[in-house]
Amino acid sequence: MSDRVSTVGMYSQALTAMLARQADVARAQLQLSSNSKLLSAADDPVGAGMAVMLDRASAELDRYQTNAGSVGNRLNLEETALASAGDRLTRIRELAVQASNDTQSTSSRNAIVDELKQIYQGLIADANSGDGSGHYLFAGSQDASAPFAQGAGGVTYSGDQVQRRVDISSSVAVDDTDPGSEVFQRIRSGNGTFAARAAAGNTGSLVLTASSLANPATWTGGSYNVTFDGAGNYQVTDASSTVVASGAYTPGTAIQFAGTSLTFDGAPAAGDSFSVKPAPNQDVFATVKNLIDAASAPNSTAAQKAAQRNGFYAALEDLDQAQTHLIDVRAGVGARLNTLDTTATERDAQSVTLKTTLSGLRDLDYTEAASRLSLQMTALQAAQQTFQKVHSSSLFDFLRG
Amino acid sequence: MSDILSTGTSALLAFQRALATIGNNVANVNTPGYSRQRVDLSSRPGQQYGFGFIGSGVQVTNVERVVDTILTGRALQSAGELGRLSQLSTLAGNVDQVFSNAATGIAQPMSSFFDAAQGVASDPTSAAARNQFLGGAQDLVNRFHALQSQLQQQDNGVDQRLNAGVADVNALTRQIAALNDEIARQSGAGAGKAPNDLLDQRDQLLQQLGAKIGVTTTKADDGALNVFTTSGQALVMGNQAATLATTVDPYQPTRHSLALSSAGGPIAIPDSGVGGELGGMLQFRHDVIDPAENQLGRLAAGLAFKANAQQHAGTDLYGNAGSDLFAMPTPSVFARSNNTGTGTVNASVSDPSALGTNDIVLQFDGTNWKATDAASGAVLPMSGAGTVASPFSVGGISVTVGGAAAAGDSFLVRPTADAASQIGVALTDPSKIAAALPVRGSASTGNTGNASFGTFSVTDASDPNLRSPITIQFTGANTYSINGAGSYTFTSGAPINVNGWQVALNGTPATGDTFNVGPTGPGSSDNGNMRTFASLSDAGLFSGGNVSLTQGVSQLTSSVGSIAEQANLAQSAQSAIDTQLSDQRNSISGVNLDEEAANMVRFQQAYQAAAQIVSIANQTFQSLLSAVHS
Repeated sequence: MSDRVSTVGMYSQALTAMLARQADVARAQLQLSSNSKLLSAADDPVGAGMAVMLDRASAELDRYQTNAGSVGNRLNLEETALASAGDRLTRIRELAVQASNDTQSTSSRNAIVDELKQIYQGLIADANSGDGSGHYLFAGSQDASAPFAQGAGGVTYSGDQVQRRVDISSSVAVDDTDPGSEVFQRIRSGNGTFAARAAAGNTGSLVLTASSLANPATWTGGSYNVTFDGAGNYQVTDASSTVVASGAYTPGTAIQFAGTSLTFDGAPAAGDSFSVKPAPNQDVFATVKNLIDAASAPNSTAAQKAAQRNGFYAALEDLDQAQTHLIDVRAGVGARLNTLDTTATERDAQSVTLKTTLSGLRDLDYTEAASRLSLQMTALQAAQQTFQKVHSSSLFDFLRG
Repeated sequence: MSDILSTGTSALLAFQRALATIGNNVANVNTPGYSRQRVDLSSRPGQQYGFGFIGSGVQVTNVERVVDTILTGRALQSAGELGRLSQLSTLAGNVDQVFSNAATGIAQPMSSFFDAAQGVASDPTSAAARNQFLGGAQDLVNRFHALQSQLQQQDNGVDQRLNAGVADVNALTRQIAALNDEIARQSGAGAGKAPNDLLDQRDQLLQQLGAKIGVTTTKADDGALNVFTTSGQALVMGNQAATLATTVDPYQPTRHSLALSSAGGPIAIPDSGVGGELGGMLQFRHDVIDPAENQLGRLAAGLAFKANAQQHAGTDLYGNAGSDLFAMPTPSVFARSNNTGTGTVNASVSDPSALGTNDIVLQFDGTNWKATDAASGAVLPMSGAGTVASPFSVGGISVTVGGAAAAGDSFLVRPTADAASQIGVALTDPSKIAAALPVRGSASTGNTGNASFGTFSVTDASDPNLRSPITIQFTGANTYSINGAGSYTFTSGAPINVNGWQVALNGTPATGDTFNVGPTGPGSSDNGNMRTFASLSDAGLFSGGNVSLTQGVSQLTSSVGSIAEQANLAQSAQSAIDTQLSDQRNSISGVNLDEEAANMVRFQQAYQAAAQIVSIANQTFQSLLSAVHS
């Protein structure tokens, strides 16, 4: 700065300083009124770019929360439906045990059959549960129409095996409701490994009282026939009619072959047989239907009684499988609901972090801005006052007169 | 006695001149560009007498303009820089505001669109969710259009301002040339004495010209100043002013740049050789509009490309393959205005991950085509033959050439410059949103094994057999056949690839188990395809797959903001320099009223004293006369 200052220079310097202070004040005011320290990306290009990403991540989290809410709702409804179906199966099992009691009269058994039929309908209704917004829970991706329908051959499934997955966080997706085929249809029958069933034409009073897998290592997965000769002997043949075991039949003593253990009671007629097969899948409706058929079958002759008892035995075995299966499915749903809860916690934590970071990038520190504003106002006032003071005197004033 | 009178008179005259100059200084205290003037006084040579020399008074040797020519030169340069940076910072600030404001930027509708996609993924058959998705697509497209139109308006504004600026520059150069003429003439007439006020005027006009276009000067012997652009092209030579004009871009007739008119046609001034406001505008076009348009367009083209591909990979509610969601933008091709052949060039986007943000120039040398980067001139690798069967592939676009191009013909391809205005929503029926996967699997209920399908994914949506039903049958515990043919080894969890889809079978199948895969039927509430769609915003898309759409939006915001920030900072710095120069100039050349008042008192007193001398001379003369008379 030289010693010499021109009159215009003094004015313009003072003016420049005042304008700069005014711009500062205006900026602080804008920041305060918009609660944002970034008025545009030029204020912090990197921060603004980051804010774009974080905004997107934050919006995604909100969206995931909505997703989690709706899938949670559907899973809770599935839980309810499965609980209801489980209760019905428990009642069916009680009725099956009751009905299988020899003391039941025909009329009391008919009453049981009536109740079973009611519950059967209820079970189908459970399987056709909706989610409250026009979709069926157990229909896979064909959920606009009821998946289970009663027909001449039993209950048919018109849904598919598609199970949606729903994203509930950037890294976690949960399965939506299970397809009906997997809940109500794909249920192993028998004891879960094989099913021993009486041949339709048995004439003796032979009944199966226990069947189990005694030695899983030797179970081949093949089909067998246990045939009795009516003279106290049995023989076991495999699918190619090769005899794999034979011996004398003693009621109450287990017959063992290929890892299985079967205990029979009663007197077989010659030619009476039981088949032993890998347990096929059987839907829960067929299981209940078989029970109803068994309960309503005539039981006047010894052979009919035996057939009925064998029917009850098979139905109870299948019911146990169905109950276990439903419990498994329910456990799976519970696990998913649990995942929803833990993910919600995770999301909340992420959301807080994101919002904190965003706030740090963008939001204004009010205290800082307010004190800055007052400082800048003071500076502006000082500039105005000095201007007024400095420019009020001129040598010409003293030359008058 | 006559000596005394003459001495006194000379002083009176000199101080009168000095007071007149002070008066002129005071009068021009507020005149922009005025430099204070100072009267140089010197004593007149004395007369020799026998006893020595007697002084004979004072004379005015010069009226000098107090000015630092180096400072003037620096101020001229600073004016050019400040003009350029102010213009750039203002214009870039406009664009930055548009891009970073949530209400006008692309980030928010882009985010909403993908949220709507998640909405469809979470409830795939909901008409509300599907309508919201299409609405989101329309909003996004509208925002693309709005932003592109903003950029276009800014670009048009540059053209308009260039034309207006050219008129200003021409007026200024003509005045400077006229002043040069006058200054040379008056300097000659004044025997080397400078016509101060004309010089001030010329300096002032030069400042204005510099602020417009950025100039350098050289001084001629006759006092005239020759004025050049920063690239060295003459604007004023002596008393001749060149005529500045706008000329059209050889590729894009709607775009103007600067040129000097000459008898042989316009001589283009390279954009880099233009400073001042005009340079700022041209730089704004190069550094802000073009990159922003290209980046915005790349987002639009990449989004349309990926979204359409994902639609094709899915099945809609009617059970059909998905159709285009967006109208796909095509690269703009401009033939150079002096092409002589009849060649035509068609381009389409083929690979977003290789899309750059620079324009491409295609040149034909008579036998071969060559692609170069329009900005850097670097040769770009190009494969293919340019035919429909084997198009050129360069920078993520595929190019076919037709007609007969002549040697030397060239074309400008702007891969994504107009994409943001071309993108549109092609889908109107919400049921045609392909939320479902094209295939679905089912395990036969007769299966005794516990194997089940994992999640399907599409690896090649264009496979003609994508939707053909197939059966996987286990012929042994670890072997399976497909449609009754072949024998493949089964590994639990390993993907099975057939007909453009892939899926894993998990668990342990039993011999005889069958698994069917068939087309997804109508009305499916599957969301497999839409889940992938919703994740497109975060999937690597550009720059070899390293930059997602969201990152692209972030980059766009950052890069526009960063140019504006740079321009702001540079402008502030230049403004400080300019203020400092102006202060310095003021301190040297500016009028200080107090100083003038002091000088005025000084010369007034001297004048009064000189008047006394004349009076004394008179009295002395009178004494002598009366002595003679009496």
